[in-house]
Amino acid sequence: MLDADEKTGVTTITGLDLGTNIGVYYHIRTSKSFFTIKAEVPKENPRLKTLIDIHPGALFHELECADLMGAIFEGNELNGHFILSENWPNGVYPLRKDIDLSQVKLVPTPEHETNKSAEGREVKIIIGPQHPALLEPEKFSVTVDGETVTKVEPRIGYVHRGIEKSAESHTYLQDTYLVERVCGICNPCHAYTFVATVEKILKLEVPERARYLRVIALELNRLHSHLLVLGHAGLEIGYEAVFQYFWRDREPIMDLIELTSGNRVFGSLMTVGGIRRDINQEQIPKIKAVINDLQSKLPFYRKIYNDEPTLRLRMKDVGILSREDALKLSVVGPIARASGVDIDVRKDRPYEVYNDIPFKEIVYTDGDTWARMNVRMDEVEESLNILDYALNHLPAGPIRIEAPRTVPVGEAVCTIEAPRGELLYYVRSNGTDIPERVKIRTPTLANIPSFLKTAIGESIADVPSNFVSLDPCFSCTDR
Amino acid sequence: MITMIDLLLIFRILVFPGFTFILFLSLFCEWIDRKIEARFQNRVGPMVAGPGGILQPLADFIKLLTKEDIEPRDAKKLVFRFAPLAAFSIMVFAMCFLPIDGASILSYGSAIAQSGFNGDLIIVLVFATIANFLLFLAGWASANPYGTISSARVLTQFLGYDIPLYLIALTPAFIAGSLSIGIIASFPYIILAPWAFVLFMITMQAELEKGPFDVPHSESELVGGLETEYTGAKLAFLHLTRNVQVIFGSALVVTLFLGGPSGPVFFGLDWLFYTLWFVLKLVIVVAISSYIANVFARLRIDQVLTGNWKILLPAALLSLMLTIALVTWVYHPFGIGV
Repeated sequence: MLDADEKTGVTTITGLDLGTNIGVYYHIRTSKSFFTIKAEVPKENPRLKTLIDIHPGALFHELECADLMGAIFEGNELNGHFILSENWPNGVYPLRKDIDLSQVKLVPTPEHETNKSAEGREVKIIIGPQHPALLEPEKFSVTVDGETVTKVEPRIGYVHRGIEKSAESHTYLQDTYLVERVCGICNPCHAYTFVATVEKILKLEVPERARYLRVIALELNRLHSHLLVLGHAGLEIGYEAVFQYFWRDREPIMDLIELTSGNRVFGSLMTVGGIRRDINQEQIPKIKAVINDLQSKLPFYRKIYNDEPTLRLRMKDVGILSREDALKLSVVGPIARASGVDIDVRKDRPYEVYNDIPFKEIVYTDGDTWARMNVRMDEVEESLNILDYALNHLPAGPIRIEAPRTVPVGEAVCTIEAPRGELLYYVRSNGTDIPERVKIRTPTLANIPSFLKTAIGESIADVPSNFVSLDPCFSCTDR
Repeated sequence: MITMIDLLLIFRILVFPGFTFILFLSLFCEWIDRKIEARFQNRVGPMVAGPGGILQPLADFIKLLTKEDIEPRDAKKLVFRFAPLAAFSIMVFAMCFLPIDGASILSYGSAIAQSGFNGDLIIVLVFATIANFLLFLAGWASANPYGTISSARVLTQFLGYDIPLYLIALTPAFIAGSLSIGIIASFPYIILAPWAFVLFMITMQAELEKGPFDVPHSESELVGGLETEYTGAKLAFLHLTRNVQVIFGSALVVTLFLGGPSGPVFFGLDWLFYTLWFVLKLVIVVAISSYIANVFARLRIDQVLTGNWKILLPAALLSLMLTIALVTWVYHPFGIGV
């Protein structure tokens, strides 16, 4: 299958506790479809063969499944912990149903690694967990020979909050707000994907107006997220004027989010069966004014990102990810599109009303940091067009329908195109008002392996600009 | 026996145009730099301390002096303590050779052209190099990988850029036919060698580690660079050293290319007007330098070095040859610029 369709990739691996067995569900993406391969292994001997020799992109997903569910992937064994904290005891798998979390005895924390000289002329530089280049805590041990990076070892999990586990003890209504807290930036995406998955199990038809309003909320979110990273990239390459300008123009977008949802960051708009807040006629001109203003400024910004010579010097040919590698590592979102892989969930498997809205799928073939930032630059414009279209074609009607509090037995997978790429939710229900399992696969987790590949052989000075071009979100990654 | 002349010398060294004046001038230039940077970034910059925030750099300096002083266990204590102070002293000493109020600090009351001695141009350039080397030692002694890498960058960068800096600094000296700062400062050589002025500005930008050449301070990779482990008073002096370095670099540009303190003098108050012209020109140079720093992204260390060896050094050599040719066949035969 991998040979037949080059875009085939493992989106994620869900581990499930099925009583005596452990279910290992492989969510597979191809160019045409999306499906799940289900495997079950006995709990006493949960051994499977690893996929990483044929598909390296499965690496992190297998490790996560091993860490949280205790499945053993032969050929890709887990040493220590992948996402859990260092003081978590070995052999205790928190997502298994038979674990009593109050009985877990933590082990002493091992000593922290510090910057030190490795063998010979190599120096090991620890970036993180606290570092000015990282806005969130995560650790990357970078080994450098002079100025050249020879090795990158990641350690994620510093902001692991166990949201997947926590979701199993809250009702669907509570979970909508819980999963929103996975990420501060793309919170409507998480809330939306969760409610869409639940609606899939419930087989609910959401009113047309709510579907448009949801698209507006999601695109506002994409706008503010892209403007954020475009500015932040300027900061990383020492171009503070770019940073200040982009963040200045991000501010009106934040005001729009507040206008439409009542809150700057956590809008809590999404709910099962629709959306919680309508946009009225007085608000539409205000939104359009901001869109027009930003649209008039875009040519200037695009000129900076396309042509500014020092910016090109710092971003062009930095962190090149070839199309083959992008496919093999199954990266998602703007990173894949910058490497010439034309995947965009909005086009491939349209959700809500993306079917009806005309917009371009942005694809660059350079695969470097410059291309990744320019993909976002162009998507800002597309997002503005989508918003404009959605506001002009907003149908009348109700914004939500009654949804039952309890969900019948079933399971569903839903993917959407979050600002950083494909976001996946898997929900399994058991007939009560509490889900049996909620699995979240965030885009950053899929994109980090590409950084480990592209950083090797480059200057240490390129690490920040290369890394920020992934638009990493660690609170997403760790959940 | 302390005579009047000795008292005047002490006053010149300690108050005007010496230590105190240089200190406040450097803080003033930092304020200008910060204000320009802020306007470039659509911000307002310092606003609170003093009118338009003019006292903010001083407030920052005093605040740092009061902060706790921490020394890393593994730091080489002597160098760690000594280097920032020594770098600061040497930079101030170098400033003393420049004719801020129409004469260098050590010679007073004489005309601009007689204020220096032959060869003092070389001396101030050497002082600048030594100060950079001391800053390198400061970072190196702090036993911190960020500081170490930053120091290595400082060293690579200033060793590379010192060569074109010296070569281009000689351009006005050739035209003037003298290595004395006083003689060079009595004529605006930007008229006779505008190309050298442009090259000198770029080289100075790199020498002062300002954008886009500020790789030793790139905070996204190196945290605080060589200042990472410094706190309190030592950090305050490192900052001050940087400020004095910046005004020294700009003052050098003023002296070599913009005619130093020369300008019209009224009411016989020559020291006042000389100082005024000097500071005015200095502020213009600081503003140009701030402009360059703000419109570009930071280069990478290898790009900085390639730019030095492949572009700036050949350009400096060409500039020198052009100058010599012009001086020999055009300027001196017609008595221009002598």
